[in-house]
Amino acid sequence: MNPLKRILLVEDSPRDAELILDALEANQLANEVVHVRDGADALDYLYRRGQFADRPDSQPALMLLDLKLPKVDGLEVLRQIKGDDALKIIPVVMMTSSREERDLVQSYQLGVNAYVVKPMKFRDFVEAVKQVGIFWAVINEVPPGTAYT
Amino acid sequence: MPTVEERAGEAALLPTGAVQSAIFNSANFSSIVTDAQGVIQIFNVGAERMLGYAAADVVNKVTPADISDPLELAARAAMLSVEFDTPITSGFEALVFRASRGIEDIYELTYVRTDGSRFPAVVSITALRDAEEAIIGYLLIGTDNTARHDVEEERKKLDQGLRDQQFYTRSLIESNIDALMAIDPRGIITDVNKQTEALTGYARDELIGAPFRNYFTDPARADAGIHRVLTEGKVTNYELTARASDGTETVVSYNATAFHDRNRQLRGVFAAARDMTELKRYERTVQKNELQRESDVAHAKELAIVNQELEAFSYSVSHDLRAPLRHIHGYVEMLHRATEGQLSDKAAHYLKTITDAAEEMGQLIDDLLAFSRVGRTELRSAPVDLDALVQTVIRGLEMAVQGRGIRWRFTPLPNVIGDAALLKQVLANLIDNAIKYSRTRDPAIIEIGCAGEETGRVILFVRDNGVGFDMHYAHKLFGVFQRLHRPEEFEGTGIGLATVRRIVGRHGGRVWAEGGVDQGATIYFTLERSL
Repeated sequence: MNPLKRILLVEDSPRDAELILDALEANQLANEVVHVRDGADALDYLYRRGQFADRPDSQPALMLLDLKLPKVDGLEVLRQIKGDDALKIIPVVMMTSSREERDLVQSYQLGVNAYVVKPMKFRDFVEAVKQVGIFWAVINEVPPGTAYT
Repeated sequence: MPTVEERAGEAALLPTGAVQSAIFNSANFSSIVTDAQGVIQIFNVGAERMLGYAAADVVNKVTPADISDPLELAARAAMLSVEFDTPITSGFEALVFRASRGIEDIYELTYVRTDGSRFPAVVSITALRDAEEAIIGYLLIGTDNTARHDVEEERKKLDQGLRDQQFYTRSLIESNIDALMAIDPRGIITDVNKQTEALTGYARDELIGAPFRNYFTDPARADAGIHRVLTEGKVTNYELTARASDGTETVVSYNATAFHDRNRQLRGVFAAARDMTELKRYERTVQKNELQRESDVAHAKELAIVNQELEAFSYSVSHDLRAPLRHIHGYVEMLHRATEGQLSDKAAHYLKTITDAAEEMGQLIDDLLAFSRVGRTELRSAPVDLDALVQTVIRGLEMAVQGRGIRWRFTPLPNVIGDAALLKQVLANLIDNAIKYSRTRDPAIIEIGCAGEETGRVILFVRDNGVGFDMHYAHKLFGVFQRLHRPEEFEGTGIGLATVRRIVGRHGGRVWAEGGVDQGATIYFTLERSL
């Protein structure tokens, strides 16, 4: 089995974060999840700025990005990542409560790798996180430069 | 040798002979001498030339009456008979009657030439008398009057031409659509056409000679208009309100110019008034339409803003309302896992109820969002194959149909015009209802078909043999959150049929229901047929 990879979780809701972390843990998918609460922190992490200036230089193997975020929202974070040659190789999975078509269309236009609507039922939710985690963090061969823990 | 007397006689006669010879040889005057009875005695060169007879043909043979127009002579005889109150015969007597009475008579008569052609001649007739004053003959001296006749003919033609020309000019003026007036420099009307009579309600005779200003609601403005034409040479689109004899007021627009005679003397104003009633009405309509359009645009803007707000509202609802529900779900599940089945039945029941409630609310939110989306999204109309759409919908409802012995009855459906995605929702909601409300039946029968046409639209229906409904509450079926069954009997949010009505309504159709308690239900809806 491939070694587990680092996941960057960008989620402002502590409950959603707890649920996602629980689901990842239950499926033994994450040995390291970095959780940040807004888009600005997410960008600081990726660019190793501010409080993340001293983090190891390898990039996460997967980013779970909430759409609605304080300060810098998910679409803006996505835009910046996919507009940066050094970052655009990081797979980004957009996770959102919204079924609104325009969010989906915009996300794909910006180059998102997957778009997941957070299911209402917990079991479905766990299943969704599991599928996403397995595919992107385990099965998917990451491009060189994104590091293992 | 002649005697002295003879000589003296000859000498006295010589000039007479010369005069006679001159007269008789003149080619331009016809000189005819007759005896007392009218028989021609002398027929000169002029007569021969004009009339074409040789003297020998007529002398001692005919009278001048014989070479004149007989009808003319008869008329002359009749006229003279009346004048002199005595019967006068047509013929030579009529020709010379006045002269025979000693009246010098010059008149025009018509000679007939030897070839039968005629010409007018002015003839002077003199009676020849002897020493006793007895008439011994007549002298008729005539000139050809053809040239003068031609001139007169020509003048007549000219006069006629002039009259024609005047008539033509006048008819142009009369047939003009505008009310035309000529006004002298003092402001007095000198001429009008029929339109002016119609406009003012006064006759031409009444108008001519009256002041122009008298026929308008604002005489001072009328005067000012005339003054302006006289000083500036013209006015255009000068509006006045004419007041007719019966009080009718007509807004007219004047175009007027000053006119001059041949000596460049200012003679007055020629004014044309156009009835502006129609144009005014048209302008008012245009103005009204413009206002309407502006208000429509404003209304549309308002609507767009309201729509945007609604959009933002439902967007945030779909995000923010859903999240807490998901959390309730999630934490109940985690609680289950944390307690590892150690919960009492009661506690487990409470947790299940929390979960069910959250699920229900989630469904409500989804349905409500879908319902509001139906009202907001733009219709994308195109021909829709309803038969294919029905099959797609039924395949999608596989879960609901599983384990049920449903007898489907399909009759071919026409193609319709509509938004395929929305019509699919209509069919899905109706078929889903039919499946749901017939679940107590074995077999459940669901029929989908076409029930004819009304006002050019096809009537479609979905029928089931389920629990039906009380027609008394039929009007409540299509309201939002209106339910006719208790939730423990049949699940649902009460939005399905409201959504159906909204979609069909947006397609210009209508929806209605028929049914009875335990007698099944039929929902009808109408759509536009695709050709």
